[in-house]
Amino acid sequence: MFIRHEFFEKNAIFLLIGTLVTVAIGGIVEIVPLFTIETTVEHVEGMRPYSPLELRGRDIYVREGCYVCHSQQIRTLRDEVERYGHYSIAAESMYDHPFQWGSKRIGPDLARVGGKYSSDWHYAHLTNAQAVVPESLMPHYAFLAETPLDTDDIQARMRALRIVGVPYTDAEIANAKADLAAQADPGADSTKLLARYPKANVVPGDGHTVTEADALVAYLQMLGTLVNFADTNTERLQQ
Amino acid sequence: MESNVGDFIVGLMMAVFGLIGLFLVAGAADAEMYVFGLALSGFAVCFNFGLLKSHYDRHDEARAAARVRSHV
Amino acid sequence: MYPVVYPVVYPVVYNDAVVKKFVIATMFWGVVAFLVGVYIAAELAWPSLNLGLSFTNFGRLRQVHTSAAIFAFGGSALLGTSMYIVQRTCRARLFGGEALANFVFWGYQFFIVMAALSYVMGFSQGKEYAEPEWHIDLWLTIVWVCYLLIFLGTILKRTEPHIYVANWFLLAFIVTIAVLHIVNNAAIPISIYAADSYSAYSGVQDALVQWWYGHNAVGFFLTAGFLGMMYYFIPKAAGRPVYSYRLSIVHFWTLVFMYIWAGPHHLHWTALPDWTQTLGMAFSIMLWMPSWGGMINGIMTLSGAWDKLRTDPGLRFSVTAVGFYGMATFEGPVMSVREVNALSHYTDWGIGHVHSGALGWVAFITFGAMYYLVPVLWGRKALYSVRLASWHYWIATMGIVLYIVSMWVAGIMEGLMWRAYDKFGFLQYSFVESVVAVHPFMVIRLLGGVLFLIGALIAVYNMIRTVTSPTTALPRRGLVASPVLPALGVAGA
Repeated sequence: MFIRHEFFEKNAIFLLIGTLVTVAIGGIVEIVPLFTIETTVEHVEGMRPYSPLELRGRDIYVREGCYVCHSQQIRTLRDEVERYGHYSIAAESMYDHPFQWGSKRIGPDLARVGGKYSSDWHYAHLTNAQAVVPESLMPHYAFLAETPLDTDDIQARMRALRIVGVPYTDAEIANAKADLAAQADPGADSTKLLARYPKANVVPGDGHTVTEADALVAYLQMLGTLVNFADTNTERLQQ
Repeated sequence: MESNVGDFIVGLMMAVFGLIGLFLVAGAADAEMYVFGLALSGFAVCFNFGLLKSHYDRHDEARAAARVRSHV
Repeated sequence: MYPVVYPVVYPVVYNDAVVKKFVIATMFWGVVAFLVGVYIAAELAWPSLNLGLSFTNFGRLRQVHTSAAIFAFGGSALLGTSMYIVQRTCRARLFGGEALANFVFWGYQFFIVMAALSYVMGFSQGKEYAEPEWHIDLWLTIVWVCYLLIFLGTILKRTEPHIYVANWFLLAFIVTIAVLHIVNNAAIPISIYAADSYSAYSGVQDALVQWWYGHNAVGFFLTAGFLGMMYYFIPKAAGRPVYSYRLSIVHFWTLVFMYIWAGPHHLHWTALPDWTQTLGMAFSIMLWMPSWGGMINGIMTLSGAWDKLRTDPGLRFSVTAVGFYGMATFEGPVMSVREVNALSHYTDWGIGHVHSGALGWVAFITFGAMYYLVPVLWGRKALYSVRLASWHYWIATMGIVLYIVSMWVAGIMEGLMWRAYDKFGFLQYSFVESVVAVHPFMVIRLLGGVLFLIGALIAVYNMIRTVTSPTTALPRRGLVASPVLPALGVAGA
């Protein structure tokens, strides 16, 4: 060996630097190109940032640890595509801070759960999963329907997301509270909401108080619905 | 021992953290930040009490040992 | 067990007070972690145990269990034993004085308690093993920097010229964890006074940053750090030198180099680019070799002292740990192969793999170290009961076997059911049918966990009796004037 190991064994600083250099290599080689290679995140039509209500719903999904039982990533495997829909592409989670692909399925994958069940089904399932699916292991989230959604910080949240790269416009931030209320009220006029957030689903809230369940259902109902896979094909999605 | 200088630096550091904790409690936007700030301040106070106690315990022991030696 | 004998020339007074605190914390958090694990396992068998409350459901409690097991139990074990090992192998008292050492101990406990409390209150960054929010992450960084200062400072003031192999692994563990922690937890809080934050990364990039972190939390926290522990306590308990110096050099550098690349094996068949998946798979398979290098070095150190396995239960724990380490580091590369992963990902096989490593390797090597340290630190002549330690060993091993086997069966069953087609070409099973099918194995796994918990409770009882029972007291033979024994905590000296 042209370097005697004594070099590291008798000098703590060289040992520390040598180790740091050694462990830095793998991370740099694997992670940096994901940011520099343009085709990593596909350019597709339809992707948009979360609407204010969907964003709050996602916050609740993250804080309740839903990703611990539910994945949000359909793999490129035949049985999976048949069971859940088109395999997930990188673009679909590009605004997910943090990503919620999950690593365990105690419950089914949710990447394309949007539109598969009615909103009423979701409210019932969240309140008492076993009433709808008797063999389910899911806990009861009735407290979500009874907890009013805290909306004071919605603009701060959108601004924070803008700092990390989510392209919220000034108009979207300015109208955040109005859009949030409109998406939880079937009786309200949703034209402006849908202009800003195409394919947003209005959930059957009571029109007075927006609850945490309203937010979570609004989020669940748009999952996997934004990209129209009929409009594109594998060649265009491939790197 | 060198521990007196070390004790002082650590005690100062903890005092700063305790103050930060109080500011966090004052402006807390949610329950968790409130609890965190309160716990941090409480922790800083208790830790610094501990530092003071161990300093003066050592001081008393040294004096007691010196008294024993001078009586031999 | 005999009292440690210090050479007359270098009467170093070690800081063992902080090590004792960490030993107590390790056993305490171990019981907590196993108890929470048992509870959430029960929730998966009987979901009514979620109680319908926000703070007791599986979604919030799971990270209480993982953080308690990895950071509270594992972390306290690492911090405590590393402070013991670095002092002894450098023949130097801990750098930074008592205050800094106490700050690292109490600061770390504060981190543990705040993290668990925050999860239960409904705050999480939503990334596995990195759930604490930004302000708790910042606090941990401060504590960790102080820990590095203490550890590195002690090595720098060593009177023994060569740095012992255990310290290479411990130093690598400390600095790499710092890098991983800081990079993965980069986040923007919604305001300086709010607990919530958003990750700096998103989507596929966040996925890789997370699993670069997540797999190396395993590689450096749960592997390199505990290999450092192994490299001290096995030779010490066996009274034999490490089997091969050359092997330790080769496997150290290859391990710390290769582990970092393995992250993508958590993301096979996903939207992560193919080239990254392939790199991750290739390095994960190669990683089998330096891992087994460690296993060989650890087990073969027993050469000439195999009979001690019959008489020293602590050593038995340590050597068995190395065996489980070998098993888990073979299973891991196998599961990293894309075709195998297509079946195993998202199933309970992953859980089985994690726990063969966590219970078989991490917990067992920790018990080995604890059984060695308790009599030595508290100046007792031996463990209160070697028989009880043996009971612990066999009950815990039975628990691990039940756990792993039930998860293998459940995991493979889930994987096969999800991909099964009937004779008409339709998917044969609905998802919920796989949930029903694995229920018996959820119960068996729970039983395995209960056994493991019982073993730990036996250990705690044994250790408390070791410290307090008159039957283990060292005979007082005029050693009162020695400066050494007060450091050991011997009464009256």
